[in-house]
This record gives sequence, structure tokens and C-alpha cells, in this order.
Amino acid sequence: MTAIVVGLNLALCFAGLSALALSLDRHHRDAFLVRPGAARARTLRIAGWSGIGLSFVAAVALEGWNFGPVQWIGALTGAALLVVAFLSYRPGWLRPAALLALPIALVALPLALNG
Amino acid sequence: MRQGFRQSMAWLHAWSGLVVGWVLFCVFVTGTASYYRTEISQWMRPELAETASDPARSADLAAAYLQRAMPDATGWYIELPKPEKPLIGVMWWKSLEGPFHQALLDPATGTPTKARDTRGGDFLYRFHFELGMPPLWGRWIVGTCALVMLVALVSGIVTHRRIFADFFTFRRRRSQRGWLDAHNVFGVLALPFHLMITYTGLVTLAPMYMPWGVVSAYKGDEMRFYVDSGLMPELRAPSGKPGTLAPLSGMVAQGIAARGEAPEGVSVFNPADATPSVLAVFEEPHGLAHEHPQIAFDGATGAMLGSNGATRAAAKTSTVMLGLHEGHFAGAALRVLFFLCGVMGAATVATGLVLWAVARAPQGAEAEGFGLRLVRTLNVGTIVGLPAGIAAYFLANRLLPLDLAARADWEVGTFFGAWALVAVAGALRPAESVWREGLGLVGGLFLAVPVVGALTTGLHPLAGETRFLGFDAAMIALGILLGLAARKAGQARLRPALRADAGITGGEALRA
Repeated sequence: MTAIVVGLNLALCFAGLSALALSLDRHHRDAFLVRPGAARARTLRIAGWSGIGLSFVAAVALEGWNFGPVQWIGALTGAALLVVAFLSYRPGWLRPAALLALPIALVALPLALNG
Repeated sequence: MRQGFRQSMAWLHAWSGLVVGWVLFCVFVTGTASYYRTEISQWMRPELAETASDPARSADLAAAYLQRAMPDATGWYIELPKPEKPLIGVMWWKSLEGPFHQALLDPATGTPTKARDTRGGDFLYRFHFELGMPPLWGRWIVGTCALVMLVALVSGIVTHRRIFADFFTFRRRRSQRGWLDAHNVFGVLALPFHLMITYTGLVTLAPMYMPWGVVSAYKGDEMRFYVDSGLMPELRAPSGKPGTLAPLSGMVAQGIAARGEAPEGVSVFNPADATPSVLAVFEEPHGLAHEHPQIAFDGATGAMLGSNGATRAAAKTSTVMLGLHEGHFAGAALRVLFFLCGVMGAATVATGLVLWAVARAPQGAEAEGFGLRLVRTLNVGTIVGLPAGIAAYFLANRLLPLDLAARADWEVGTFFGAWALVAVAGALRPAESVWREGLGLVGGLFLAVPVVGALTTGLHPLAGETRFLGFDAAMIALGILLGLAARKAGQARLRPALRADAGITGGEALRA
């Protein structure tokens, strides 16, 4: 079902974009009060791009080349807006929220495959 | 070039955005609302419950009505009833130059519907590209503004120095910086949508803006272009002699047999001629492209003539762009995301307009110039006025007497009247409090919509009516959001030394 795939995309994009946001000095400071070390920033960047890439793969694999990319871009925008909202109002919650999104994606995946 | 490439782009962005900003805000807001055009129409005709009707019988009822209404019409369009819109829509005309007449019929009787007279979501949909003006004027203005919007988007991307570094940055506590960040965040996060929607919107109306290719290639027979490109089947030319139309129900039944579904509409060309043509138009199949399968019939005998061929690359590209623009393919979840992107588009334009004025606010005791005052007045008049008009349009739908003559026109009149009233009132109020008061008022109007709806129709969740839960929830969410914005505007007013807090000048804001 498309709604579940959109949910899966949103969860993966949100986790990925959160990691990317936290890899930036300013937002890492907002959330953890310190700057990230070089290694930590790199890990976050890799994790972030992986999440976004995975979401794209999932969208195309589940929805095809016609709808997949459209849906993925929509989810990317929605997730990014959510990341900005967290960073502006509750920066400390961004990491737990991103970690929570991962199991949600794990639950949504088999549902999407069966649906 | 002034100073350098980026500076000249900043200048271009600020001024191109300003001149078309007010129109673009209206286009974004009404276009975004049009994603829920059907739902809005349903809410505005609360008398109609979802019911299925017989498409073949509906077509005959419509034909009987149309033959009475104008025996010498040269064209009809019949929109067959759907469960979510259980009405027969009929449109007829004597000349393609207009005027076009229309009516809504009850599919049970074939007589004009008893449901309240309203234009429903269709008004907002047409306003999106015609601005409530004569169609051609409106489309030229919207198209011109969309073209300038593309210029503003591209120059905006060039101007924005740190797209990736500032991707998530929104420093909401700092006045001018906050406006700039908000403008950037709304613009950048939904950038793929903004580029797509602006470009595909232009392509949608491109044949109207640039007809010369088709005109010079087909020399007066432009219909043939649509046949050749697979967008329409071939029709017969009128004979000039009078004749009678075969029953449409037979053709609708053949269409159902051929495609396994009822057509969504039936076009009749030259219904009173000896060689009429009938075109059954079907719902687009699931896909990105906006392509309606069509079957043509000989209207005198009811025999099937043929269907439209397959579109090739060029025509396909154009129908996919139209499909992307309309988003009909999107299910409920994706539609919410499209809606959100549309809201972000409106917010990008609105924050851009406000930023233009904030960045040029006079320093200290300096007097405010006429230009700046004009921009600020138009900003309030548009950004507060249009939503006020929409809320008033919904309220008028519930509050105007049901038997009022030309009721639908009164609803539209209320829309423009409320808008004008708010705009004039906004021009008279002091600059410090106008945003707080205006946004608060509009928020209140939206919150009043579900209450007034429930009180006047008795249809609400407590009475077991759940059809309008989604609409009511959207109104309440809009009301709360606008209320929060009003509170925010009030706080900004109280904070002292705004400019020192902002820490940057107008010029810096544009370059940042």
C-alpha cells in the first residue's frame, strides 16, 4: 500500500536527514552543546546519506520508476521540515526521534512488501 | 553588472520576487487548496450524500435537458455523476467564443438539483489560474507571473550562498535573520516541488501562450494536431443540415463494454446537425500522465468511430507534466505531502514579501517612504486578505439563505468583499499591530467555519455525521496555525531594539 511506503520513506528520510543535520557544527552544538569530532561528523554523514539512499532504493523498488522518485522527493521534503522543526524548538529530541524512526522503518518494510 | 554576479542576482531576485509576489501568493494558496477540490465541493453541498447513479440513464436525462435548454447549441459537455459528486454537470454553448452556459442536474430526475447553489471547490480551482478575471486575461497574467517566478527561483538559488551549510538553519529568535532563514528553509526544502510546479504549470498553458508552431503547421485545422498527437480521436465535420441525435445511453453502454468502466464525461459536437459526433471521455488510468482515453461515436447512428491513438514522446512528455502538476495520481498520504509543499510555496512567497519590507525598514527617526508603505499595505492586504476571503467564502456557503437568487454569485461576492474589507482595514491600522490583529482575525474566521457548519446543518460528528471530519480538522488546524502566527507577530512587536537584535542590515540580508 502506498501510504505505508510513504511512511517508510518518511521514516528513512527523517533518520538520514537528522544524521546529516547533526554532522554540521551548528546543529551538533544545538543538540549536544559541543562540536562533533571529525570522525563523528564523518560517521554521521555516511549514516545520513545511507538513509537517504536507502529510502530512494525502497521507493523505486516498491513503487517503480514512475511513482518512486516523485514519492521519494515528497517524503524528503516532509522529513526535512520535521528536522527543522525539531532543531528550532526541541533540538535535544532530534537524536531520540531519529533513532525511533529506524524501528518504525523496520516495521513498515515487511508491511509494505506484503501490501 | 552591479558589483558582481551574485549581487546582481540578489537584486534580480528581490525585485522579480516583489513584482509578482502578490499574484504568486494567491496562485499558490488557491492551487494548494485545489488538491482537495472534490472534498471542498462535497463540504459545500452538504445535502448530497455519496450515492451511485446509472451513467447511461444520466446521459439521456442530460441530453433531454440540453435539447430543451438550447435547441441550436453547437456543443455540449456532460459530466456524468460519481459517488462523491452525485450530480450531472452540463455545459452548452452556441459558439466556442462563448458564452458558455452550465447547470447541475439531479441524476434521479434530470431537473436542476435542489442542493444549494454554489461553485464549491471549482471556484478556488479556477481562481488558481484565472484569478477570477475573464479567462484569457487571468491566464496571461498567471503565466507571466509564473515565468518571473522561474527567474526568481533560479536567481534565488544563485543568491543563496550556503544552501547546504544552512540547509536546516532556522534562527527563529532573531527578527530579520529569522525571516530570511524561514524564507530559505521553505524555499530550499521544497525546491524540487517549487521548480516542478512552476515549470509544469507553464507547460500546461503553453499551447495558449505559444500557439504559433501548431498554427503555422496546421493552418486553420488545429484540431488535427490533437488527433495526430494521439490526444483525441478523429471527429466528423458538421454537414450543415439538421438531424437528430441517437440516444446517448447506447453509446455510453458501448463505452462501458469496451473499457470496463463508465466514462467520466460525454462531449457532443453539433448535436442538432445531421452528422453529430459524440466523444466518451474516460478517467485517466493510474499513471503519472494526464491522458484521458476517449472513444468517438457517430452521433446519428450511435456507431463507434474509433479511439485516440497512443501518445508518442513529445505529447507524452506534456501529459506527464500536466499529470505531475495536478497530482491526481497521488493517494491520500502523498497528497498530504503535496499539500504541505504547496503551503511551503505560499510561505516562501509570503516570507519573501515580508523580508523585502523588513530589510528596507527606515532606521531610527527616518520617515517611511511611499514605496515601502505601499509594499507593506499590499503585503497585509494579500497575505491576510486572501485567507480571510476564503474563510468568508466557506462561511457564506453556510450562512446565506438557501433560496437566495444567484446564491453562488453572492458566495463569490462575499469572498472578494471580505478580502477587500480586510485589505482596506489593514491599510488603516498602525504597522506595529496590523499583523497580530489581521492574523488573529483570520484564524478566528477559520475556527468559526466548523462551528457554523455544525450549527446550520446539524451535520457534525456528535450527530453521527463523519463525512466532514477531515475538512473540519483542516479548518481547525489552519485556525490554530494562524492564531500562533498572530501571537508570534504580537511578541515581535514587544521585543525592543529589533534591528540591533537582527544584527544585519538590509543589504546584508539580501547578500546572505
